[in-house]
Amino acid sequence: MSSTKLLTLKTSDGEEFKLDEAVAVKSQAIKNMVEDDCVSNAIPLPNVDSKTMTKVIEYWKKHSEEGVSKDQLNDFDKGFLEVHHSVLYDLLLAANYLNDKELVDVICQEVADRIKGKTPEEIRKEFDIKNDFTPEEEEKIRQENAWAFD
Amino acid sequence: MAEWSQLPRELIDLISKHLLTEIDFLRFRSVCSSWRSSVPPKPYLSSPSRFPILPNDGISITENSWGFRLSKSPLYLLHSPNQTTSSNKNNHGWIVKLDRENLLNPLSRSQFKPLPLNFPKILDSSNYPILELCQEYTLQFIKYRPMANSIADAGNLYMEKVAVRLEKDGFVLLTIHVSGKLVMYRSGDIKWEIVDELSLPYDDVIMKDGNFYAVDNTGKGVLVKLSCGETPELEVVANSVFGGDKKFLMESCGDLLMVDKYLSIGPEDDLGYNENVEFYEEFDSYMSERTVKFKVYKLDGDMQRWVEVTKLEDRMLFVGDNCTFSVLVSELDSRCKGNCILFADQNFCSTEDSGGLWKNHGIGVFSLENGSIGPVSSFRGYAELFWPPPPWICSPQPIDAELNELKI
Repeated sequence: MSSTKLLTLKTSDGEEFKLDEAVAVKSQAIKNMVEDDCVSNAIPLPNVDSKTMTKVIEYWKKHSEEGVSKDQLNDFDKGFLEVHHSVLYDLLLAANYLNDKELVDVICQEVADRIKGKTPEEIRKEFDIKNDFTPEEEEKIRQENAWAFD
Repeated sequence: MAEWSQLPRELIDLISKHLLTEIDFLRFRSVCSSWRSSVPPKPYLSSPSRFPILPNDGISITENSWGFRLSKSPLYLLHSPNQTTSSNKNNHGWIVKLDRENLLNPLSRSQFKPLPLNFPKILDSSNYPILELCQEYTLQFIKYRPMANSIADAGNLYMEKVAVRLEKDGFVLLTIHVSGKLVMYRSGDIKWEIVDELSLPYDDVIMKDGNFYAVDNTGKGVLVKLSCGETPELEVVANSVFGGDKKFLMESCGDLLMVDKYLSIGPEDDLGYNENVEFYEEFDSYMSERTVKFKVYKLDGDMQRWVEVTKLEDRMLFVGDNCTFSVLVSELDSRCKGNCILFADQNFCSTEDSGGLWKNHGIGVFSLENGSIGPVSSFRGYAELFWPPPPWICSPQPIDAELNELKI
């Protein structure tokens, strides 16, 4: 068995996570650091908290497992993404910071799925977004959404 | 604290790229200021569409034609804004097709009129949960009329299906010439191009996932590869099935389906639906053809064949004159059962009944469950999907709320 190198990741709240290098390099950012050979100590990740890092590692580990079928992965992803939008938000920013394109894409798809078919007001409720349009913008939007009938 | 409006611009843009329909994209840009400014509007989103007039060269039908106008009519499934009244039996979805300021029959080009007296003159679509079902593209002949004020009043409908792929700076269009050949047109071209000289007549074309597919009248399915600057190539994706009389392509839940329509020409049965010839005057010659059944196939790309689908479960397939789409029964929120096909059929136009309402709208239903076929009014819960407009359209909620506030 080849030796697996363990990396240490340190999150913004000081917690340390030990992880196989082979798994951790799903993050292009970490991969770059490994290749540039600056990983003697723990890799600092000041933009990710431990709660979010735990989730990200859970995803990476599942997607690195051997013998997992495509259906099983899909089921895992579905359950993994069934979270409050604030968790999704933190996950999205973390995945973006860590530069894991696949995870970013999966999360964006989930966000899009929560948007599809909803009215703008329903979308705002879903994500706790404030309507910050100026009256001029509101008027333009009203025109864009207006259907006129003969 | 999750501040979705504060997301980096590139992430907002990436999310918007996962929205596949124009209406979802429009609504995305109507949520908040940063989302709106992070994502520029896409071209060709407005309805009525403003497509250029296409040249006649290479596809001339009559000597007098000047060209073609391409128009786009979106089809939507609307739901009541008031989701809390879900126990109300009138809360089913409403399928509409918009064409400029008119409501068209979703499965044909006939117009629903007159609109009810209390139908809103201007409807704020952002109040309603909407699912975009498909975009129907049609070509109209433009005859040269120097006195015409607008092109809009000139055309005669070109009666073959049109599939369109929007590209960054224009579009590509695939349709079937009256001779049955596949023809394509790329915006900016001077003339049409014939894709397949030596083929049997084609029945249908479709654009799915950015690819063009076509099916000929034997059921042979082809992928039409239209790469920029190169001659179009055809790749067989499914072998012929023969079978019925007219083949249709449709996308449903990610699959490419082929719907095969079986016609029978002969004496009318005793349903007596041969009134109202003027409803579809172009179709005189078809009056004696009746649809008797359908078969549905799913594409098995690996094995290069169509596999028959005998159970659609909770899916409903809609086969219109110029568009096809599928809906899940759960999306309709209605009393309808799935596992059926709704289709345009001029044999199902009845005269107005005593209430002054058109009963059947030229729509029929075929049940895959037991093979029964008939006009839409003879199946519970289907006719109301189309007409009349549900009550929540004619009395939109916001006005009620305002009236409440004023205590009127």
